[in-house]
Amino acid sequence: MKRKLLSPILILAALGVAFSAQAHDPKEHMKDAENPNCAAMKDMDHSKMDMNDPVMQAMMKQCMKDMHNDDGDHSMGHEDASEDDHKKDSDEQHSEHQH
Amino acid sequence: MPTLTAFIKSLFIATVIGLVGAGLFIYSGVYPIGADVPHNKLSYWLLETLRERSVARAASDIQIPNDLNTSDRLLAGGADYNDMCAGCHLKPGKTASDFTIGLYPTPPNLTATSDDHGHEHGGDSDDGDSNDVAVQRQFWIIKHGIKASGMPAWGPTHSDERIWNMVAFLQRLPSLSPDQYQILTARGNTSDSHDH
Repeated sequence: MKRKLLSPILILAALGVAFSAQAHDPKEHMKDAENPNCAAMKDMDHSKMDMNDPVMQAMMKQCMKDMHNDDGDHSMGHEDASEDDHKKDSDEQHSEHQH
Repeated sequence: MPTLTAFIKSLFIATVIGLVGAGLFIYSGVYPIGADVPHNKLSYWLLETLRERSVARAASDIQIPNDLNTSDRLLAGGADYNDMCAGCHLKPGKTASDFTIGLYPTPPNLTATSDDHGHEHGGDSDDGDSNDVAVQRQFWIIKHGIKASGMPAWGPTHSDERIWNMVAFLQRLPSLSPDQYQILTARGNTSDSHDH
């Protein structure tokens, strides 16, 4: 009797662990995720931008991705990268955001 | 020696009376527990001191990663901060939310420098030691939460690495403009290039 009960308990415990491990997956947020507003970078003071600053590097990464995904043109410069921002319809193509 | 015996007796009686009085007070229900009525100064001091001493002790041995200040960590941590924390701890350009107004104690505004909100939180300090303490403190609080404060423990559902990413983002948050914040925290249009 005890062994009969043990299996379902173990299965439930295993499922519990499996589901808790998937909690708050970043993919949960993708359906209503915003696109980076790379157009705003145009208005920033470029003389104060330090390319060695991780904040600046992170913004460039965000907007480089935006450029590649919107235009498919990998040779485009950074200034051009921000022209086609806010294309929300491309969200579904970019649902990978693993940590 | 009778004076010592009398003193111990008096101490014992006072302790019993104190405990009974505290028990009666607790069971009477007269203490206002609603979040819209602030604690009195004594309760506030007791709880704040208890919290700060407990966090300081528990966080003191945490090892800080050497690569905290990287763009990948900022991007990963920024997106999580925006989803999980900004409602209570705000974002650049916001000064209040329903949560900051309604929660008690009020969640600290993490877009403000430590001088503005009363305790260290890392990136804005030049002192390496106090900066490390603040970073350890942030990691511990995010991972373990704080009882009866509204701060949840994210540790059961988030890896240490993800929590460190959020800590990394917090170091730069007070210096971000609203536009920079939006770009860093947007999850849309992202690829797997900053996986961890």
